[in-house]
Amino acid sequence: MKTRIYSISLVLVLSVAMFAAAQRVQAALGGSSDSIESDRKALSATTRGVTAGNGYTVQEIYSAANTVREYVSSSGVVFGIAWNGLVYPDITRLLGSYTGEYQKARQQAMRQRGSRHLRVKSSGVVVEQWGHMRDLRGRAYAPALIPPGVSVDEIK
Amino acid sequence: MKLNKIVLLSLVLLLLPGCGGGGGGGSHSSSSSSSSSSSGSSVGALCSAGLGSGSPGSGNVIPVTVGDFCGIDYLNEPTVSVTVCTSQGSSNCLTIGGILLDTGSYGLRIFNQALSALITTPSNGTAECVQYADGSADWGWVQNVYVTLGSEQTSTPVPIQVIDSAFGARSPAIYCPGTLDVSPSGSGFNGILGVGPLVQDCGLTCVNSVPNPAIYYTCNGLTCTGTTVPLANQVSNPVASLPTDNNGLIVQLPGVDVGGAVSLTGSLVLGIGTQSNNSPSGATAYTLDPTYGEFTTTFSGVAYVAGSGHDGADGSFTDSGSNGLFFPSPTSGTYSGELSNYCSRHSDWFCPATTTSFSATIIGYSGTPVGGTVVPFQIGNFTNLINSSNMVFIDIGGNSPGFDWGLPFYFGRNVYIGFENTTSSLGTGPYFAY
Repeated sequence: MKTRIYSISLVLVLSVAMFAAAQRVQAALGGSSDSIESDRKALSATTRGVTAGNGYTVQEIYSAANTVREYVSSSGVVFGIAWNGLVYPDITRLLGSYTGEYQKARQQAMRQRGSRHLRVKSSGVVVEQWGHMRDLRGRAYAPALIPPGVSVDEIK
Repeated sequence: MKLNKIVLLSLVLLLLPGCGGGGGGGSHSSSSSSSSSSSGSSVGALCSAGLGSGSPGSGNVIPVTVGDFCGIDYLNEPTVSVTVCTSQGSSNCLTIGGILLDTGSYGLRIFNQALSALITTPSNGTAECVQYADGSADWGWVQNVYVTLGSEQTSTPVPIQVIDSAFGARSPAIYCPGTLDVSPSGSGFNGILGVGPLVQDCGLTCVNSVPNPAIYYTCNGLTCTGTTVPLANQVSNPVASLPTDNNGLIVQLPGVDVGGAVSLTGSLVLGIGTQSNNSPSGATAYTLDPTYGEFTTTFSGVAYVAGSGHDGADGSFTDSGSNGLFFPSPTSGTYSGELSNYCSRHSDWFCPATTTSFSATIIGYSGTPVGGTVVPFQIGNFTNLINSSNMVFIDIGGNSPGFDWGLPFYFGRNVYIGFENTTSSLGTGPYFAY
């Protein structure tokens, strides 16, 4: 456990150094991979690691509240974000230029009483959340940005 | 504004003690300490239609009503009555019906509107933001009260949440995202009784750190800031705080015919193997992972694995507060494509042309019983089913990641929920059994 904390700190130091010089204007979804650093700051999280998938990479940022995974295409664009934890992250900080259309669609979404699932779809983005107390989950993706051959189910 | 609202609602409360029976009551006696035989007063509901409340029960048995409590087309809604007291005993109490029985959460939460005859809104204290997967959230303060379930009362005051979306004049600095529960009539219940297999609503994380966004806040007047909270002060499953019958519970609901029912009644029995009426008989136990309270379900070739949340994979769980069976439409395996037809108006629900039979295999977190247990279930056409006066259905389901065995799983079964850090003849909690 302790060693994990140390290695997280090490990764954090390295990632801060790595991203320090990068320009960070855009936010997450649809933005460049550099925007993950601003997400990390917004969520008071640390970067946990990078794993490679089917023609994309997954960057994970971690805090006591939740874990957020950002899916970055080979051309460096964030096409999907998934999260799980005790609380939902501030989704509006993760959706970048899609925030406005998401908020509009969310307001129109009918509450489904008794459901443990919410799906909000607008022209450019799909946001889903599900799970239960102490294990809340969700994902957001821009269908137009998903690389060919990658299934939505890989964003989790 | 806020005071007016409270006064108005209190007035409504006094004028309309019940919305469909079970009200009764009379004037409450919150200021009386000399009354020896007073049983406090009773609040039926704060909504204008619907089923009304059942009785608070006696001994370790509490009646459960499944139906549409508030008359807002809330399907498969299980509710109970609970009693809240500001002192030990039966004086200074309020019995509140229409409390959602929820094995998928932890802790008792009751709307301020339903409690305002007994409890005054504090200006300072601990507050809490609780988020739910349907996008809703509860904001309100934490209050220590004696909770009576059936005839059994907690031996000490336990923390509950009083739901009040306006508490602390919620400033933008307080981040409680989601569609806030504002009123009983809007949400369809007077409160939520979270009696799942874990105990606290946050756990050790909130003891050691403040999540971002925070769950617990310390409020001073209109200013609230995130805070750590010891386990004993977190809102928690009140059954675990009873002096006896505190190791778990049994949800007993009758079966439902295909086609549904308007309503039905069953029982919530406190304790497992502690009384003659709660001895396990012929039940198989499934251990749950200690972090999330999940087990493993395999359906159409896909495994929803207990405790795999760390790597983003989904587990499975039972939840009486979920009103259907929720899982991904199978795209491979035995049932590939069989639930690809969604309802046109209710696009999250499955609408197969005819009622279709399925089965899944469940197995505990520890890998027992070896080979698992096959669980058969059916999914009907949601649109056709709800086109009736029925509100209770055993065969409704919808699309969602993970595998959520909601209320339909409970029909026709005795479902045992064993709490963490307890034991019974069924094993060591957390577990569920049926």
